[in-house]
Amino acid sequence: MAEISWPWQYNFPPFFTIQPHSETRAKQLEAWEQLIIEYLKATKQSTIDIRESQNSPLFNNTSINRKLSQDAILTVLEDMGKTGKAAPIDKSKTIWEIYWHSLDEWGNMVYNYVCNNGLNNTVCTLFELREGENTVDEEFHGLDMNVLVKALKTLELKGKCELMEFDDSQGVKFF
Amino acid sequence: MRRRAGVGAIQKQKLEQEKYREKGSEIQENQFQQMSKQLEVFRENLEEFATKHKSEIKKNAQFRRQFQEMCAAIGVDPLASGKGFWSVLGIGDFYYELGVQIVEVCLATNYKNGGLITLEELRNRLIAARGKAKKHQDITNEDLLAAVKKLRIFGNGFSVVPIGKGKWLVQSVPGELNLDQTLVLQKASSLGTAWVSASILTDDLGWNETRAQNALNHMVKEGLAWVDTQETKETLYWFPSMFAECVSA
Repeated sequence: MAEISWPWQYNFPPFFTIQPHSETRAKQLEAWEQLIIEYLKATKQSTIDIRESQNSPLFNNTSINRKLSQDAILTVLEDMGKTGKAAPIDKSKTIWEIYWHSLDEWGNMVYNYVCNNGLNNTVCTLFELREGENTVDEEFHGLDMNVLVKALKTLELKGKCELMEFDDSQGVKFF
Repeated sequence: MRRRAGVGAIQKQKLEQEKYREKGSEIQENQFQQMSKQLEVFRENLEEFATKHKSEIKKNAQFRRQFQEMCAAIGVDPLASGKGFWSVLGIGDFYYELGVQIVEVCLATNYKNGGLITLEELRNRLIAARGKAKKHQDITNEDLLAAVKKLRIFGNGFSVVPIGKGKWLVQSVPGELNLDQTLVLQKASSLGTAWVSASILTDDLGWNETRAQNALNHMVKEGLAWVDTQETKETLYWFPSMFAECVSA
């Protein structure tokens, strides 16, 4: 299990029941969002499959015998979706991608890196960006491939880069 | 032969009365002067005492309490006015300052406890916050209660809810708790569980189902209680303000 410091709410039994009172629920959802993001960061995951999630310690605190139900998880994720921190990949909304930064923010982060290192008008492979030695200190190092591609696509829409396909890998040219 | 009262006698009597009256008012004047002189001396002494021991009063919690008790015994409230001769004491300032800090702590913890905080947690947080700058100012529960009482001037936003022996909750959200809700909090505090349920209220307090449910629902609506439906037996109502991990978080 990943080493993360669980917040106090994790041991607070009603935290696992979606609260009826709107103000309390807002606090609860916010705490869940932070916890989910922190947990995924620590375990280097970027997706949540609601059907399998009940086995994850994230949503199942066996020590107090409480778990967040599938419906409740959906509620949390949909709330995250409103602020661009999560998005479903399939139509039935069972698998979700979680962005601890919004795609826009990720895109800008990559672009800042490119500008700071004078890589404009050059072509990088996605492998370089994700796994290259030069990006070790960058937050997007090791970022999930799908998320990275989506983030770059937001940049592409702004005309700041162009994605391209090679035979066996993908690359990107920054402007 | 009986002499009839003459004009001279009447005049004499009048004169006497006049003299008595004069003497009376003279005595009264004297007493009044003496009294105000005494009062003046008393004020001077008290003022001198307070200024002399000002820093002591601020620093020493026990001394502060004794001073408060002394003032209460002679019917003086050093907190009552910020103006006049009491202002030189700075006693009021101490409590005003404390009051501001209490408000700060309450607002800062509102996000997790919904506006209810135990006096104990409040005190610990205050001491932690004041800590470095004013090492010697240990604060007692009495000080906190006195300061919170002063906050009532701002309406019913701040109030103290007694929840059993030597324990208090400070409520920092508008809206007063009614008696039933106070009893619910007392129950949760005395059980030490941080939660209650409808059946506990009906069994222990002899309430009927509706009364218990009403009180609980209202506290959920106020954001004071959290609902937990995963206990097989019945719904539990939790109070983050009493939940140990929340308090220390």
